[in-house]
Amino acid sequence: MTKKSIVELKNVTKVIKGKTIIDKVSFDVYGGEVFGFLGPNGAGKTTTIRMIVGLMKLTDGDVLIEGKSIKTDFEGAVRHVGAIVENPEMYKFLSGYKNLVHYARMYKGISKEKINEVVKLVGLEKRIHEKVKTYSLGMRQRLGIAQSLLHDPKVLILDEPTNGLDPAGIREIRDYIRRLARERNMAVIVSSHLLSEMEMMCDRIGIIQNGKLIDVQSMDDFVSTEGKLFKLEVKEPHEVKKKVLTHHAEWTVEVVEQSLVIDMTKDQIPELIRFCVAENIDVYGISPAAKTLEDRFLEVTSEGGLVKHG
Amino acid sequence: MGNLIRNEWMKILHRPGTYVMAGLLILAVIASAVITLFINSNFNSSNEDWRQALEAENEQIQMTIESGEEGFYTPSPEGALALNEYRLENDIAPNNAESMWQYLENNSFMISLVGLFSIIVASGIVAGEFSWGTVKLLMIRPIARWKILLSKFLTVATFGLSLIGILTVLSLILGAIFFDSGSAVQLTYSDGEVRESNMIFYLMKVYLYNSIDVILLTTMAFMISAVFRSSSLAIGISLFLYFVGGTATGFIAMYYDWAKYSLFANTNLTMYEMGVPLVEGMTMTFSIIMILIYFTIFVALAFTVFTKRDIAA
Repeated sequence: MTKKSIVELKNVTKVIKGKTIIDKVSFDVYGGEVFGFLGPNGAGKTTTIRMIVGLMKLTDGDVLIEGKSIKTDFEGAVRHVGAIVENPEMYKFLSGYKNLVHYARMYKGISKEKINEVVKLVGLEKRIHEKVKTYSLGMRQRLGIAQSLLHDPKVLILDEPTNGLDPAGIREIRDYIRRLARERNMAVIVSSHLLSEMEMMCDRIGIIQNGKLIDVQSMDDFVSTEGKLFKLEVKEPHEVKKKVLTHHAEWTVEVVEQSLVIDMTKDQIPELIRFCVAENIDVYGISPAAKTLEDRFLEVTSEGGLVKHG
Repeated sequence: MGNLIRNEWMKILHRPGTYVMAGLLILAVIASAVITLFINSNFNSSNEDWRQALEAENEQIQMTIESGEEGFYTPSPEGALALNEYRLENDIAPNNAESMWQYLENNSFMISLVGLFSIIVASGIVAGEFSWGTVKLLMIRPIARWKILLSKFLTVATFGLSLIGILTVLSLILGAIFFDSGSAVQLTYSDGEVRESNMIFYLMKVYLYNSIDVILLTTMAFMISAVFRSSSLAIGISLFLYFVGGTATGFIAMYYDWAKYSLFANTNLTMYEMGVPLVEGMTMTFSIIMILIYFTIFVALAFTVFTKRDIAA
């Protein structure tokens, strides 16, 4: 995987009627990675995406795509972008195929074979000549992805790609996205307000709140920062906690439900187990207790909130 | 640009409304032929004694001229007299309602039907993309916004031209089948002289003159569609002005001279041929300049606003 940044946001700012909607947002997205753009509704995800694809003008800052500025070289920059902005709205009175032909005509040199290839990729061969009117939401979403891939873009931008899909559909889209990033070395930007989804899809994640980017981290770092937590399942956690603390006063130990949650490093696990055996404690299981994305999200956004008020 | 226009046509041709419009136009042309034939069979007007009719008319004109009244002759009693005399001398029978030329000329009023349909298409062609939500996927292509808008404008223009094409070709065919060939010479009177001209050129002029307000109001509808992104607003305002603008301007012109700067005071160029400008002192050149100014303003507004504004729909 090359670490070449394909999309660069530099102090992107949007002011509408004197109100700062997006405030100096900067981040890079690299080839081969899925970048999650996470934030509560109304935080500015869609506005930022609209600025990246040139639907909205930037008040300040710049967006570079493959080094081309969306402000000064719109055509050069947007050529590398495939996107679905909000819902994949297509011409309902045209067939899926005609919709693709429509968009294919707006690029140079997209052959019929290419259109068929994309149709096959998203698995719409059977229904592609039917009117979009008759499509389910999942099929429209797939057609949306098909139109965004026609011109082999370097960047794929999907705004809420799993909105309104059933669990099977969500899984399908998620697999597509991961595959596209890996196999074609594309940079994929996905926005969502669904945390669990981001957790499964993204390599890195940027959290936006009130128009400010408050954190960008890799998924692993994000979910488990500041040391590791391990969960030890025992019969009488409170008593065990006392015993552990007399022995290892430097560990932070908490009782959560029927388990102990201990803050320690991985190579301390054998030591803990030896200790339990020596003390004759019944251990039912030990597992890493990473904070979920949701915990972290709430943590980070509330910090952000504090910063704002302070 | 060719591909963009093909795209727009594809979208127009896949909606049933388009075929309803074309169908209504075709029906109207056929109905006009049927009604003309029906009236003629009832009144049984014959062209045999056109000489007698013209001579009788000339006597009346002579009386009008002597009495010093203005009469209702166009462009003037003297002109009407000169034209009739020219016909008698050179044996050119006037075309009556049974000739295909008269039928073609009469059908020029159906350009207002073409205008109605063009305004409807122009009103929807930009605003529709916004209401369908498809504008987002349309504008993230490596094509400058002004090119997309221009392709839509040219599509509206070719749509209007196609309807006029249907109108004239169908009129020609029906005219050739159901009506006499008549005389293909058109006489005009100006500066005390009678001139012969080809009927085809004359009809082209009639159709062109009738198309001017259609072109301008369609452009206006397009502008409103691009600026306000609402097709109902565009249709509403444009059709209202299309049907009321001319009459209203006529009333205003009776009391105020500034009415001559109104768009509708200038779209009817036939008034100069007839020698009766709406406001004293207006000339053909003045009107053409006014038309060009309005056209430029509409187009400039559409393009600047559409290329500058954010797409947040």
